[in-house]
Amino acid sequence: MAGAPERQFLFNRASRDARSEETLLSALTRGRFPVVQRSIRYHRPRGPVCGVGYCTGCLVRVNGRPNVRACRYLPSEGDVVTTENSWPSPRFDVLGLLDFLFPGGIDTLHGFRRPAWAVRSYHRVVRRLAGYGTVPDLGASASLRQAPVRRTVDVAIVGGGAAGTAVAQLLVQAGRHPLVLDRQLVPPSIAGVDVAARTTVTFLPPPTGEGDGRFALLGFEEPARGVEIHARHVVVATGGYDASLLFGGNDRPGVVTADGAFGLLDRDGRPPFERAVVVGGGPRADRVLERVGDAVVAVVAPGGIDPSVVRRASEQQIPLYPRSLVVSASGRSRVRSLALRARGSGARFTIPCDAVVLAHRRLPTPQLFFQVGARMEWRAGTGAYYPVLSDNAETTVPGVFAVGATAGILPEGFTESCTRVTGTIAGSPTNHAPELPRGSQGGPSELEGYYRELWREPRTGRWIACPCEDVLLDEVEDAARRGYRGIEVVKRYTGLGTGLCQGRYCLPDALLILSLLEERPPPEVGYITQRPPVVPTPLAAFAAMEDPAAAPGGS
Amino acid sequence: MTAPSRSAYAVVVVGAGIIGLYIAYHLARAGAGPVLVIDRGFLSSGASGRNGGGVRQQWETRATVRLARESVAAYRRFGRDFGYNIWFRQSGYLFLAETDVELARLRGVHDLVVSEGLPSQVLDASGVARLLDGIAPGSVVGGTYLATDGTLYPFPAVWGVYEAARALGVEVALGVEALGVEAPDGRVVAVVTNRGRVTTPVVVNAAGGWSAEFSRRAGLAVPNVATRHEILATEPLKPFLDPMVVRASDGLYFSQTMRGEIVGGLTLRNGSGIEAGMPSSPRFLKEMSRALVRLVPRLGAVGVLRAWSGFYDDTPDGFPVIGEDPRQKGFVHANGFGGHGFMLAPAVSLRAAHAVMGEPVDLDPNAFSPARFLTNDRPTSVERLQLG
Repeated sequence: MAGAPERQFLFNRASRDARSEETLLSALTRGRFPVVQRSIRYHRPRGPVCGVGYCTGCLVRVNGRPNVRACRYLPSEGDVVTTENSWPSPRFDVLGLLDFLFPGGIDTLHGFRRPAWAVRSYHRVVRRLAGYGTVPDLGASASLRQAPVRRTVDVAIVGGGAAGTAVAQLLVQAGRHPLVLDRQLVPPSIAGVDVAARTTVTFLPPPTGEGDGRFALLGFEEPARGVEIHARHVVVATGGYDASLLFGGNDRPGVVTADGAFGLLDRDGRPPFERAVVVGGGPRADRVLERVGDAVVAVVAPGGIDPSVVRRASEQQIPLYPRSLVVSASGRSRVRSLALRARGSGARFTIPCDAVVLAHRRLPTPQLFFQVGARMEWRAGTGAYYPVLSDNAETTVPGVFAVGATAGILPEGFTESCTRVTGTIAGSPTNHAPELPRGSQGGPSELEGYYRELWREPRTGRWIACPCEDVLLDEVEDAARRGYRGIEVVKRYTGLGTGLCQGRYCLPDALLILSLLEERPPPEVGYITQRPPVVPTPLAAFAAMEDPAAAPGGS
Repeated sequence: MTAPSRSAYAVVVVGAGIIGLYIAYHLARAGAGPVLVIDRGFLSSGASGRNGGGVRQQWETRATVRLARESVAAYRRFGRDFGYNIWFRQSGYLFLAETDVELARLRGVHDLVVSEGLPSQVLDASGVARLLDGIAPGSVVGGTYLATDGTLYPFPAVWGVYEAARALGVEVALGVEALGVEAPDGRVVAVVTNRGRVTTPVVVNAAGGWSAEFSRRAGLAVPNVATRHEILATEPLKPFLDPMVVRASDGLYFSQTMRGEIVGGLTLRNGSGIEAGMPSSPRFLKEMSRALVRLVPRLGAVGVLRAWSGFYDDTPDGFPVIGEDPRQKGFVHANGFGGHGFMLAPAVSLRAAHAVMGEPVDLDPNAFSPARFLTNDRPTSVERLQLG
């Protein structure tokens, strides 16, 4: 290991160290897969899943502030970090008994009504089980009080990935002064471009008026500084994220997305697992093999496997299982094996493993488009919504553009889309341009057929339809059986999609599942209203923006 | 979308929120004949699926206190009657006064509530602080607290009444919008919908925020005004707050749900109406966050999870409108509940059902009847405690 520890912090009273620019999650990992949380209803052991600040798998209390995502926090000297929602520890939690006591699930909709004299006690007990962290310390909240950032800019670019960076550079070349808002903790440095680092845009309301500041973006800079940007143009380049997958025991610690696996790597690039099964056969799976191939024991894909993945896997002598169903994961505080079945009439078999890396499907992040009121279209090929775009990559809301993966533009079209956006903003739009290459619009996604087949499998273990709220697949089926139709009603009936990730991980699969149950195409099942904020935003950040004492600053 | 199965019904209820469903349930239980409930949205898409779940009995008029008390009793029985657990938790409503004038007003409410046999208490600042841990020192002069008020989880209440009504033969057609009413000679004969014409002698307007619009479509001018109200929920925390808290000055209200989320809102000055649709506004997020953090500073580090909005159906005197419209025979109002339809639903829907069946209605006509807006006489009383 390189270098001396640069900062020390306490984790459950034990001293730990972190290096510069290392996340708390990475510091807590150090070769051992971390289990710092318990699930909200059944107190099942939970590990980090997403690695990008959305899931509930790495919530800890830091210096009296609850529900801090360890993957989104850089430790400081002397930090006091404790685990929440478990006793005595996340690995051995007494309330984990609930998972065994209620094999059929806890029915809070119909249960706990009788006898009348016991109702008050039920309320007390159930209330205590709910929630993650305890209320913040006064000091933790007071320390977050900061004057907000207020700026007025010509072009705000949301996201500093490949597409956001390319647009920014082209705009600078065209003599403009864009501002890139990027949420990475270690910000990208883009030559000659103004970057607001560690800044998440959480709310893009519909435009007001026609002026220079017609778009008012709200967000916050980690940890809690309010950010308000007025802009004439907004370029959304929020990229994509790795989706989850539904199978028995799909919430076991060790089941991670590709992003999640990368977030767990230590400074030398080593993962906290040795025998991972990679799910997926496309470019994302290729990327996983490239970075952690030494620790992979199998590649499993719902459909076919790309030649590039086949080539890399054979170089590393990794067996391939194309066209396979992932049926269930076993293990308790760590996944131990994965049961599979070849699609069609194959027999079930099991692969021992200590991690499952989901790299089968990359989805766009469409929240800001929905918020601003842009027209969206369903693309069955990927099973996701994308903004309707003009030839110049402008959405149906004039002044809002979309580039890169979140726009559904394929990598070969990134540069061209950025050029057109720049041309439009800088006043020299391209006319009669050929259509930008985008993902397939027709044909149901491979996963629709996949889930139809998986449906007939005998079920083992808990199938968690919504990990944030511990909603079981059985509950979703029960809602459908009772005649509750459409995702909006099923959401309200079961709680699916109402947890901390706001449906990012459960909704894409739930649409396909409900499409099967309701026997109609996914777009008819509907979609959950994408409510602000995009990620949980501290009350302190919003509160400071309202403070009349804080004078607005110019750019 | 589900089309009605018959062409004629004894009663058509417009609006499948808690009020409309409850009315249909009472009608079916009384054997009123085939009942159809239509709604242009999905189940719980209106205010019944958007409210903060508060149920209080502290009001400025005796009539409202009594209806609220009856509703509390019904919600206590709900789990046994309807098979769904609404988690009705009687942890009280705490009203906050920032000035002596506000406290005097709350004291008036307290006196009335106590005279109705309810255990209200007047608190000084330290009494308030015992119920609201972490309140900023000096932020209130006192308040009132009624321990038998409480909060419930609105969705299962909708499911419970929906299923009970359907089990009694009520038909609920979703995605069906009422476009107007056919009423030759001032007598209802049919409701016109986007799925065709439905013959009926009685139509009930239980359309909540859209009730004024539907009345107008039926040719009836009403003074109801829909106003947009916003609300937010935070990340779930372990329990630290028991009562629903309401501030008298600006209508700031919040409680901690069974799931641990802090859910609350406040009344924006110069708010907008139904024409603005239902988006959340940056202004609400900022004002609400500031109000909450100023009152309870330790909440600053809590994350806002989501925000949404819904419509109040306000009337000029703060009383709902229940009963047949004198201008059109068969057109029955069950609307104008402000932001309080859910908390009064069990009691008022029973009266509305009586009105539909032409039975005597146990309500003060001066306060509740639609006729009160048609005369030039001033209303005899006004219910002004339209907070939280």
